[in-house]
Amino acid sequence: IAQYQEVKVSSFEEFIQAVEEHNGKTIFAYFTGSKDAEGKSWCLDCAQAEPVIGEGLKHISEGCVFIYCQVGEKPYWKDPNNDFRKKLKVTAVPTLLKYRTPQKLVESECFQASLVEMLFSED
Amino acid sequence: RPPEDREEVRRRLMGLIEGNRVMIFSKSYCPYSTRVKELFSSLGIGCNILELDQIDDGANVQEVLSEISNQKTVPNIFVNKVHVGGCDRTFQAHQNGLLQKLLQEDSAYDYDLIVIGGGSGGLACAKEAAILGKKVMVLDFVVPSPQGTSWGLGGTCVNVGCIPKKLMHQAALLGQALHDSRKFGWEYNQHVRHSWETMIEAVQNHIGSLNWGYRLSLREKSVAYVNSYGEFVEHHKIKATNRKGQETCYTAAKFVIATGERPRYLGIQGDKEYCITSDDLFSLPHCPGKTLVVGASYVALECAGFLAGLGLEVTVMVRSVLLRGFDQEMAEKVGSYMEQHGVKFLRKFVPVMVQQLEKGSPGKLKVSAKSTEGPETIEGIYNTLLIFVISDPCTRKIGLEKIGVKINEKNGKIPVNDVEQTNVPYVFAIGDVLEGKPELTPVAIQAGKLLARRLFGAASEKCDYVNIPTAVFTPLEYGCCGLSEEKAVEAYKKENLEVFHSFFWPLEWTLAGRDNNTCYAKIICNKLDHDRIIGLHILGPNAGEVTQGFAAAMKCGLTKQQLDDTIGIHPTCGEVFTALEITKSSGLDITQKGC
Repeated sequence: IAQYQEVKVSSFEEFIQAVEEHNGKTIFAYFTGSKDAEGKSWCLDCAQAEPVIGEGLKHISEGCVFIYCQVGEKPYWKDPNNDFRKKLKVTAVPTLLKYRTPQKLVESECFQASLVEMLFSED
Repeated sequence: RPPEDREEVRRRLMGLIEGNRVMIFSKSYCPYSTRVKELFSSLGIGCNILELDQIDDGANVQEVLSEISNQKTVPNIFVNKVHVGGCDRTFQAHQNGLLQKLLQEDSAYDYDLIVIGGGSGGLACAKEAAILGKKVMVLDFVVPSPQGTSWGLGGTCVNVGCIPKKLMHQAALLGQALHDSRKFGWEYNQHVRHSWETMIEAVQNHIGSLNWGYRLSLREKSVAYVNSYGEFVEHHKIKATNRKGQETCYTAAKFVIATGERPRYLGIQGDKEYCITSDDLFSLPHCPGKTLVVGASYVALECAGFLAGLGLEVTVMVRSVLLRGFDQEMAEKVGSYMEQHGVKFLRKFVPVMVQQLEKGSPGKLKVSAKSTEGPETIEGIYNTLLIFVISDPCTRKIGLEKIGVKINEKNGKIPVNDVEQTNVPYVFAIGDVLEGKPELTPVAIQAGKLLARRLFGAASEKCDYVNIPTAVFTPLEYGCCGLSEEKAVEAYKKENLEVFHSFFWPLEWTLAGRDNNTCYAKIICNKLDHDRIIGLHILGPNAGEVTQGFAAAMKCGLTKQQLDDTIGIHPTCGEVFTALEITKSSGLDITQKGC
């Protein structure tokens, strides 16, 4: 089983901090609607995608970083000026991307195991 | 006839019917038989054919055949032992998909289709075949340029062609627009500079997203994509070599060659070491600086054009004509506009040597050139030398000789019939590798889609290569559809043609104080055919956008009368075509004065 590092963050600032800490490594990021105390997300698509992402993680190479980022509550997410939209150009959840590359999967693309596998195993 | 003989004939016929995937009983002079043979040939399906008029007991055979199949006539077709019928029934079976079912490929091959080349044509063909339910593989591999440049999935257009070219052309146009903007009242600080690095980064990011988009698109349609160099090793089998040199073999029932072209170097001292081509320009990390462009292809002029538009000092060295193959009157106008706007032209010269004076990004190069007309030689010093003379098809190192696919030895192109089939029935070709077809992305895409539909979807539509519109994105854009004036005269004779022409002055140019009597439009009408428009040409802003609509009209058989009956949209450039009155033959002056 590949040794990748998983980092959990729950705000834009935390995300940027995590990226800076792991500068130089291959970084994958998954953006999801935030979960409540019972672990349920307001984003139904995110709930559907999560197990697929979990399976896909098996294809990550050693030394990579996987940042699991909860974007916040629904009203914050819907605000067109939130930091994720304006500064990261992440405009939909779920989004799975390889940081600093054009490679990303958006919404229902995250449900497809073959696409998720392809993104995680890019060389 | 004695019964034993009949029995023998019957046995023989059954042997043929059972022993061949497709068995056609035919007569060599019969046109229906010919049609049916052509159908199977165009599908790349081998058949066994018995010409009843060419055997001794043909009449006998025809009688026994009638007993077996209840059909008295030829052609009489059997597919995988099933009696399909005559010509009509066979074509019906092709239309409704029954033929495909009967022909069900053996699972002896790894894939139904392997496409070699993941560019515009290859991807379109592969995706269409996959949509039709076939098992498809795409092989794409970019051999690095002499300067070491490589790129991702998508082919020439996306990576080192149309897309980056048009984006950089737009960058140059925006520079011009900034310049014009003051006349429209915009006020800002004098100093406007262009950052090559910012532009390149933005362009490459966009290309990267397109490469990724293609990867997704193939995966979603379950097309296998392999980033390996493909070459034929034997019939129906290719060897794929990846970047690390690992080899894997794959087999397929059908193959499509869509390997495209790469720029040709000059074959002079210093060319591969110090010069670059379009393969390298669009990802060049540093500004090219003072540039010499060798060649006068549309690529050469478009690149020279936008480099000059970005503020660089550009010289174009041309051996003979500009835009070979295009209407020469229009080509000269394109060149003339560039010259008036700061691009230097060295006509009738060819480079003979390139030396490096200084290393750097960019460095300094000394170029020596000689005249094509006399002993004169010249020298020049430039930061960058761009070669855009011609491109060569990637057909010489893919093992075509191993399976007998014929290519034109002189230019490397692959001749195909009207269904894009090579001389080897299960091998097809599309895109820039084709002999005698326009080298354009939309042409390759259309050919690829239709080919897949004919092979796997029981369709019969062929790609129409007539009246294909195109645009050249030089600083003054040129759009055209149909014949050049030279080709029209050659095909129809001058006295049978009427050419209408006009200058026009785009409204936006008036305030900006830009050239009048420069933008130009002409149409070539065939007098023998209701003044049908067989050639349409425009030089002006947004020429590509203007031409697209008229291409559709020409497909519908546009005549001069219909054009005159069309009311123009005002104020636009395109409306010039609805108001053409002056003919070349009248000799009247078309110079405009005001308005």
